[in-house]
Amino acid sequence: MKTAKRTATYSPLATGMRVLRATAITVFASAVLAACGGGAATTDNPLTQAPPPGNAPYTGPVARDADVLKFQQEFWSNAKTSDRCGSCHNEVVGQTPMFVRNDDVNLAYDEALTVVNTTQPALSRLVEKVGGGHNCWNTDPSSCAAIMTTWIENWLGSSGGGGRQIILTPPPSTEPGASLNFPADTAAFEATVYPVLVANCAGCHSSESATAQQPYFADPDVGTAYDAAKPKINLDTPANSRMVIRLRSEFHNCWSGDCSADAQAMEDAIAAFAGGISPTTVDPNLVTSKALRLVDGTLAAGGNRYEDAQIALWEFKTGSGAIAYDTSGVDPAIDLNFSGGVTWFGGWGITITDGKAQASTTASAKLYDIIQESGEFSIEAWVVPANVTQEEARIVSYSAGTTQRNFTLQQTLYDYRFQLRTTTTNLNGDPALSTPSADEVLQATLQHVVATYDPINGRRIYVNGSLVTQIDPVPGGTLIDWQREFALVLGNEASGDGLWQGTIRLAAIHRRAMTQEQVMQNFDAGVGERFFMLFDISENIGAAPESSYILFEAAQYDTYAYLFDRPHFITLDGSTPEGIPIRGLRVAMNGAEARVGQTYATLDDTLSASEFGELGQPLSSMGAVLPLEKGPQDDEFFLTFDVLAGNSFSRPADPTLVVTETDRPPSPHVGLRTFDEINATYAEVTLVDPTTPAVDMTYQELRQSLPAVESLNTFLSSHQVAIAQLAIQYCDAMIGTAGSPGPNLAALFPGFDWNDNSEFSNNRDAFVNPLIDRIMGTNIGSQPVRAEVYEELASYQDPTTAVNAEGESLDRPDNLIDRLIAGGSATRSIGKGVCAAMLGNAVTLVQ
Amino acid sequence: MKNMTYKKGKFARRLARIIGPWQIALIGALLAGFMATAYAGPREQAKRIHDRLAGVPPTDAVLQAMENQIAGGDAVGAAYTAMDNKYFYNVTLKNFAAPWTNRDQSVFVPLNDYIATVIGMVRDDIDFSTLLSADLTYVGRSGIVAAAPAANNNNHFDQLEANNVDLSNTNDFVAMPQSSILGIPSSATAGVMTSRAASEAFFVAGTNRAMFRFTLLNHMCNDMEQMLDTKLPPDWIRQDVSRSPGGDSRLFLNNCIGCHSGMDPLAGAYAYYNYNEDTGMLEYTPGNVQAKYYNNDLNFPQGFRTVDDSWENRWRQGQNAYLGFDNSLPGSGNGAKSLGEELGNSQAFAACQVKKVFRAVCLREPENAADRAAVNTITNTFRSSGYRMKQVFADTAVHCMGQ
Repeated sequence: MKTAKRTATYSPLATGMRVLRATAITVFASAVLAACGGGAATTDNPLTQAPPPGNAPYTGPVARDADVLKFQQEFWSNAKTSDRCGSCHNEVVGQTPMFVRNDDVNLAYDEALTVVNTTQPALSRLVEKVGGGHNCWNTDPSSCAAIMTTWIENWLGSSGGGGRQIILTPPPSTEPGASLNFPADTAAFEATVYPVLVANCAGCHSSESATAQQPYFADPDVGTAYDAAKPKINLDTPANSRMVIRLRSEFHNCWSGDCSADAQAMEDAIAAFAGGISPTTVDPNLVTSKALRLVDGTLAAGGNRYEDAQIALWEFKTGSGAIAYDTSGVDPAIDLNFSGGVTWFGGWGITITDGKAQASTTASAKLYDIIQESGEFSIEAWVVPANVTQEEARIVSYSAGTTQRNFTLQQTLYDYRFQLRTTTTNLNGDPALSTPSADEVLQATLQHVVATYDPINGRRIYVNGSLVTQIDPVPGGTLIDWQREFALVLGNEASGDGLWQGTIRLAAIHRRAMTQEQVMQNFDAGVGERFFMLFDISENIGAAPESSYILFEAAQYDTYAYLFDRPHFITLDGSTPEGIPIRGLRVAMNGAEARVGQTYATLDDTLSASEFGELGQPLSSMGAVLPLEKGPQDDEFFLTFDVLAGNSFSRPADPTLVVTETDRPPSPHVGLRTFDEINATYAEVTLVDPTTPAVDMTYQELRQSLPAVESLNTFLSSHQVAIAQLAIQYCDAMIGTAGSPGPNLAALFPGFDWNDNSEFSNNRDAFVNPLIDRIMGTNIGSQPVRAEVYEELASYQDPTTAVNAEGESLDRPDNLIDRLIAGGSATRSIGKGVCAAMLGNAVTLVQ
Repeated sequence: MKNMTYKKGKFARRLARIIGPWQIALIGALLAGFMATAYAGPREQAKRIHDRLAGVPPTDAVLQAMENQIAGGDAVGAAYTAMDNKYFYNVTLKNFAAPWTNRDQSVFVPLNDYIATVIGMVRDDIDFSTLLSADLTYVGRSGIVAAAPAANNNNHFDQLEANNVDLSNTNDFVAMPQSSILGIPSSATAGVMTSRAASEAFFVAGTNRAMFRFTLLNHMCNDMEQMLDTKLPPDWIRQDVSRSPGGDSRLFLNNCIGCHSGMDPLAGAYAYYNYNEDTGMLEYTPGNVQAKYYNNDLNFPQGFRTVDDSWENRWRQGQNAYLGFDNSLPGSGNGAKSLGEELGNSQAFAACQVKKVFRAVCLREPENAADRAAVNTITNTFRSSGYRMKQVFADTAVHCMGQ
């Protein structure tokens, strides 16, 4: 333990904006951080309530001062009941410490002080005991610990002045060691641990089980099972695996009747699995800090939420089972029972995929009873919507079905919507108040949302601390029409037909409409469990042992990642190292640098006394999301540096991608002319101005019906139709009418008389030859054989009886001109038809 | 052929009016009847070069001249002859550039200042590596159409196209400083990236990442997926990118991070740009980061918060260094112009232009070693001889003129 440390008041904010205020530098063994500074002033007293029936009324001396009275109201009255601590720790049973004695609350207060940590209530002996399973009054010790913490906080909260303090203590000095890491391939798991799980645990821990129970580590799909099993396996010490402890110490569904033997079998299987894994060793060339786990850090979470009017709270800390406990400490607890697809979310929370978390109507009636009295309330939640496509998806609902509700906070696309039954709305709480759709305030990411109601201001919705709704269009009313028989449901409608998909990391109900400041206070307080992690670099920089650290605020970010936030350089001995370079900081895990998410890899800083604040020198204001590997209990972190003081690591550059191109299948070396090219081509060969209104109008109509890309494979019959139409339009413009012949007609076909109706019978070559030459070009070997083209247009006569060498008939129509003549067409019409046939074909289309 | 005999549509009625209804089917039967053969002497090569470059068949005189050039060993000269045709500019180049100017990559868009700038730079052999950085645009000469070039509408270019103005005519279609039309400082111009058309398409709403993505797509021939590199540090990824989309950080760590870690540091260059839909103009706000850079900034408050228009090219390291950035440039800077220089002087930019020309002229992708060697040779020539695009068109047309 060191001396001469620093004290600061610290508000661990989720948003990255932090408020620090200094207090005295007086602590001896540690740096002390207080966790309530910066929070808004509170005015309401916590809700007090009558103790459950069956306990003797208090007849002893009155509280001797305000502190004792607060103790009596907030802690003692809750804990003294016979179903809780009052069953033993009183003067009747005589179990010490008698902190809930019923004869003299002043003596109880004195006893309680011996088992309460007034600076960090969560570290109180009382919390530790119930959290460890000591006579917890429900089935989840962690929820008892949370409730006990709440009582102590309510007792101490407003008398603490500067809020609760967090003490930074030097963590154990551990060198980063070789680590066993889970292989990506499931084969080894499938051969060792998986058979034991399938044989003995698949009755519940399988998605196929009739009584399916998460985690699905015995799932028929081995990949699913592997992912689910990882957090329950300790590769380094198989005996410490949760799967082994569950059998050996907690006697959880031992299959043979001999839990010890079953635990040993599980341990052996895990040991066999671990034995086949080569450890990841730390590169000796790396410049590294000491190592520690997340849980070795100092707890930073909680404590500065505004909770004075809180009447229900779900923090989802339990992490297993199918009940989420109401840890508000206000009886009766509205515990939520899971049904359907509801799973626990890493770092506290539940994820709803296809189910709901619903309370009994009896427990839910707490809301009716209290809110009927207050006439106002707030719904608060930290949520992660799974998507922005769901509609009328209930996040928090106190209702009976799709048409009957007291209140509902729901998601519709990018909006939060708040339905509330008052005397001015209908029984379904409509019309709903919605966040402005155009603002798209709802995002599929972690958000803090608060819906408040009071008769003066009506409904309001705050998202991430900001009021985002306009004035409630519906005037405020009373809540007299509420139904007491409705059930509180998270993630669905009570009737199951309002599914919301997403994650709820915290939910709370308050009996008051929270103010802007209170909303912001709770937003700033963040959600989830956070730790201060101290990475020792004393040795690297030549400082006194266990004096110099890189401080991170770290948390499990979600089921799959950690968040490391805002590194500082801090000393615990008051020293201020000067001129020491720090470059290229990376977070390493289980023997190797994390492969992704290295936010601080570009860090380039120098330690300087002038940069030091109360938390030392800030190195970055940014956060790093890093992939979770074994879980917060087992992942061992350390830091690496490219340069730290005189130590450096020569980092090899990541290899450049070498692009190796391979042959493609041969593709046609010819293609189509596209729309504009076709138009321009027709204009060029017909000498018709493409801006001629009739032509241009036709082209603009046909433009997107013509080929748009050159590939032959894209040619469609509809293209052919458009080509024909455009060709005919151009030919029409080229030839014109008797009264208005095409402007270049005479020049193009000088020997052709358009006014002679027998011209195509007597003088067709004067038209056909120039036409072919102009459109097809001359002497171009890649074009069709000119004689064949001419024959089709002007000379072929059906032989009717001729056959080829194979005896097949050569019977086919006569040439186009003769057929048009036979049809009785006039000269201009025949010319236009022949022109169109010549223009709108592959001769011009293919390039 | 039954589908050729339209009997009810207005085109069918128009056709019937012109030539009589019953002949329509007969004509249709001939439409697709003529197939090309596969012989390629100098005359056929000249025809193909002209078809591919000008988009229209040559006149006899031009064809003869080109044939003579090819026969005389000057196939490139023949290609330059083909590029004298106005339709090389009015059609081929217009449709070459049109898909770059809109998000749908549609070729069916009106002529605009982006396309005009490309056409002009090619025509006048302007150093094409300045495409993304120059203070340059091309417009019709004063008075050639009713509408003057404007910062808030496309009327001028609409009219140039409607009137079929000859864009090969150096008197009628002329260069202008882009800054003089858009009313932004010359230092704020960045070639076609700050053109009105690109602004309207890619600086509108959103977060300005679209401008970077489409520039990458159109001028580096890579989409973001090809750039995915999850090893790069994510410290410049903006606050609006959720690190746990829908509550699952694996999405971020395996996908989002790989593109944003490179893109966001580069797209910082556009921090002062916005397309104002109300005014129809590009806004440039030097010193003031556009509000769009702070959209959804509470999605991950610990992310990067843009404070200026600085940018940094993280792709100079790691797998994407193969894009071949110019080592004589710093790899970082402020504003779109220097970013345009960084991109425009890369090997990938030059190779991309050549590949696009190859596609436009050869009507296919490079498909074998000979094609790839030709692309490399043409690219090297392009880079070493002043980035002249006409040279690229000519060399490519000669490569694909057939044998």
